[in-house]
Amino acid sequence: MDLPRSGWKNYYQNLLKFIWHSLISVVGTFTYYYYRHLKLALALSSLIVNLPLITSAQAAKPYATFAEVPASKSGITWVHNNAHSSERYLPETVGAGCAFLDYDNDGWMDIYLVNSGPSDFYTPGTPLKNALYHNNHDGTFTDVTDKAGVAGGTFGMGVAVGDYDGDGWVDVYVTSYGRNILYHNNGNGRFTDVTDEAGVAAPGWSTCAVWFDYDNDGKLDLFVSSFVVYEKSLNILCTDETLSRRYYCVPRLFKPRASHLFHNDGNGKFTDVSKESGIADSPGKSFGAVATDVNNDGLMDLFVANDTMPNFLFINKGGGKFEEVGLAAGVAFSENGKPRSGMGVDAADYDGDGWQDLFVANIDREFFSLYHNQKDLTFTDEPGEIGTATQMLSGWGLRFFDYDNDGDPDLLLVNGHPDDFIEMRTTRVKYKEPLLMFENTGHAFKNVSAQSGAVFSKEFSGRGMATGDFDNDGDLDVLISNNGGPPLLLRNEGGNRNNWLGLHLVATKSNPAAVGAVITWQAGGVKRSRLKTAGGSYLASHDPRELLGLGPAKRIDSVEIRWPSGKVDKLTNPPINTYLKVIEGEGIARTSLTTAK
Amino acid sequence: MELFFKRKGRRGFRRGAGSPTVREATLRGKRSLTVGFLTLVFTASFAPAQTNNIHERLENAATLIRENRIAEAEQRLNSILKLAPNEARALNLLGTVRAQQGRLNDAENLLTRAAKIDPAAVAVHMNLAFLYLLKKAPEKAISELKEVVSLEPHNIEANYKLARLLLSRGQTDETISVIEKMNSTPPASAVFLTLLGDAYFRKGNADKAEENYLLALAAQKNNAEAVLGLARVSQNRGDTKATLAYLSQARELAGNSPELLYKVGVAALGIGVWDDARLDLEQAVKLKPDEPGFLIALGAAWLKKPDLFAAEPIFRRALEIQPANAQAQMYLGYVLYKQKKLAEAKSYLEKSIRADSSAPEPFYYVGLIVQEENEDQRAVALLEKAIEVSPSFAQAHVALGASYLKLKDYPRAQRELEQGAKLNPDDSKAHYQLAVLYARLKDPQRAQAEMEIVEKLKTLEQSQKREGDTFVVMPAVPNPR
Repeated sequence: MDLPRSGWKNYYQNLLKFIWHSLISVVGTFTYYYYRHLKLALALSSLIVNLPLITSAQAAKPYATFAEVPASKSGITWVHNNAHSSERYLPETVGAGCAFLDYDNDGWMDIYLVNSGPSDFYTPGTPLKNALYHNNHDGTFTDVTDKAGVAGGTFGMGVAVGDYDGDGWVDVYVTSYGRNILYHNNGNGRFTDVTDEAGVAAPGWSTCAVWFDYDNDGKLDLFVSSFVVYEKSLNILCTDETLSRRYYCVPRLFKPRASHLFHNDGNGKFTDVSKESGIADSPGKSFGAVATDVNNDGLMDLFVANDTMPNFLFINKGGGKFEEVGLAAGVAFSENGKPRSGMGVDAADYDGDGWQDLFVANIDREFFSLYHNQKDLTFTDEPGEIGTATQMLSGWGLRFFDYDNDGDPDLLLVNGHPDDFIEMRTTRVKYKEPLLMFENTGHAFKNVSAQSGAVFSKEFSGRGMATGDFDNDGDLDVLISNNGGPPLLLRNEGGNRNNWLGLHLVATKSNPAAVGAVITWQAGGVKRSRLKTAGGSYLASHDPRELLGLGPAKRIDSVEIRWPSGKVDKLTNPPINTYLKVIEGEGIARTSLTTAK
Repeated sequence: MELFFKRKGRRGFRRGAGSPTVREATLRGKRSLTVGFLTLVFTASFAPAQTNNIHERLENAATLIRENRIAEAEQRLNSILKLAPNEARALNLLGTVRAQQGRLNDAENLLTRAAKIDPAAVAVHMNLAFLYLLKKAPEKAISELKEVVSLEPHNIEANYKLARLLLSRGQTDETISVIEKMNSTPPASAVFLTLLGDAYFRKGNADKAEENYLLALAAQKNNAEAVLGLARVSQNRGDTKATLAYLSQARELAGNSPELLYKVGVAALGIGVWDDARLDLEQAVKLKPDEPGFLIALGAAWLKKPDLFAAEPIFRRALEIQPANAQAQMYLGYVLYKQKKLAEAKSYLEKSIRADSSAPEPFYYVGLIVQEENEDQRAVALLEKAIEVSPSFAQAHVALGASYLKLKDYPRAQRELEQGAKLNPDDSKAHYQLAVLYARLKDPQRAQAEMEIVEKLKTLEQSQKREGDTFVVMPAVPNPR
């Protein structure tokens, strides 16, 4: 009786059913170009130099690329110290931030970099400093940190730049594990620590900060993300089974904290309105934050990423009140109701339907989310190719920006796993990870990393990321801060093959950063619109100017700026391929900031 | 080789030397048509030739089929049928040729003609039974096997296959009846005793199952499948120690038998001993690298790790061997879907649907993909199809509810989500989607209540375990050799 037997059919069925039961759940990358000195690209306050004609060969190149600017060329020799220790204190792994800012109003973007510093768990061997680099207008930078008095001295996290007192000089707010710092810009190349007078120290562990005007009173208020309740004594032992190796703990193990909203009282002081605004009703483990207007009601809302907790979507109800609607909006959890590890965020109307969409980066295996605005305070997650590309990555700095000046927002993602021991636990995830560049195709994004430069084949422990046109050539460059390493300055090569117009908005009645302004422009028969958001990315602050991509259009038909105050400025026959200063209620300034490539 | 041929039918054809069976012919063909669990060993047996000439020509045609010289065999058989249109043996052989060519309807016509001409031809009924399995018509297969059993009550193979088919369809009482009739003629075979144990286990009678597995072991000490049955019983009783011991014993008995190693591996998967399971299955695959069923099970083991990236090439390998394997297509589609490779995933899942539209899972996953592509109306249609195939498919109800939620059809969303939660109360996605729904309906209390359930499920780590309650499939049982 040697019948071949396969009497396990039923058992197999049950087993496979069982196996599959667990499956669906389990299954819970700029060629280096040396900087060419743009000696001709001077900041001439009244000269407009148009873009030279584009050659057919240039026009045929499909994408702009990004090239690393080495420290030997830029002069940026500062290196981030992450205070890495065998005890694996959590703050070590989440920093740090960076910013493009024009602190001296010379029309050129300077650079600010945040460093670690003394804390209850760390005493630096030698003093650590944040860094302020002055742009020399020739592709090089000079460290002016000490002269400016902005070295920090805290265990720094992020930076937010804004002219809180409306004196025309941007101020700098540095978040920290510990006490935050507000540096007032004295207008003479020096800053003064006014934190205590202003009342914005927000002790604890702050991460991202956003300057925006939530009550449309013309002054910049301040939102500060709070991460977990943490101090040295609360550090938990997170280790492998053999107790031989210590990992960074998952933030799930720590208690959440309420973020801060500070109202700008206009006298150099701020009032903490976290409770009365409703922000404090939602304690979180907050990282990235962006101020945007998701329901087009003219009031700036806040989208805040939380790590191992649901994300928050604070709707500005007016009257100084916010309502958290993340669950109903569908942006709080994964589709299965699982909170993810939200880190970087941003907002933009990527598909040109007039409504702000949202993006949040998560940790590996969680997928990043591109939330498309359904125009009724609900969103659908439509990541497309981004999902595939980011499956095994952990995202921090990220930004919607028009890297090729074709008029629509593209997307750059900066990645890196938080745990430097991750490769000992899995072969699928790396500690250092590649950057990713996505081109906007109209209603979705296409991964163009492989075509965007050699830097996209490298790996980094990326964290903060800021965009800004540091060489004033009419395309947005990128600054990336790496945890425990030197920053990465990337120059946009070819983004200015398309035509452009740069606007430096100068408010008179509205908030100084013109956050909430809506810019509408038409060129080549295409009408586009952009809301000036605030914050976004991770621990970073961006070039405040707005670069309008015109594509191949050789003239701009119209530009309209609707200011948060309600005023509207229309620009008639503005020049292109130049930066213009536009003053609220006055239009183009007579001495308009103008530069050439 | 097969017992069937040792017991020729009353009027059954006597098997001609070297005559191929439908199974043999089909398996030898490039277009492998796997039926899954049936060990089909049908024959084109020959009765005494009407004429020596016809007999010789039939033998010759059979040899040609065996040598995969199909066109020549077809020519020979057609020439026989030109001379003798009602030659049942020729019709039977030509039926096997048509089956190999994938022309299943033509094969059915030929075989049914043969059966009409010679209703007592056991081999024709056996071939028809095999054909109906290829055509995914198990009821008809059962009918043909019953015909064989009525012609030959003691036909061991027919009885065994009939019992197994009945058992696979959950007809446990009929299964038991068939086997007990066979066992009434001692000595009871270990094979049937094991199958009887399986039937009782399926029926929920662990004691009777155990009794029969033990009898099977008494009849055949090295009966690894009986030992695996005992492991199953022990697992059912929550006796992990005994389960692992039986599993270990079965592994020893399996030796270098790839089929048994496969079974041990699948059993280990069921017990949750993932690494052991993977090692058993890797060994089975090493011993028999071209067996799609083994590869699919190994892929499934990697999915349990979980490691989608390790599983993917294994499913791809299974499809290289057997491109039309609906199950491998489905698994690969699933793996690709989980990696968000939506276009490729959809392609494989749609192939799986075309190959076997009786499984709800491919409809479900294509539904999820088009849902991600924002084609919710299409998603609704696909998810409804999945539910039509399997009304108790909880996840499909939940996904359908999620699509209605996106379409702002809140009443339908509520109906489907609640149905999904009712069918599987541990589905965190159902409760989360309900929470979103209630929040949008401005019912914060119910939303909160649902989120508390989600939270509780996570705390219990039930969410992940239940989230994958979709597939009601199994790795294809390897082709018997």
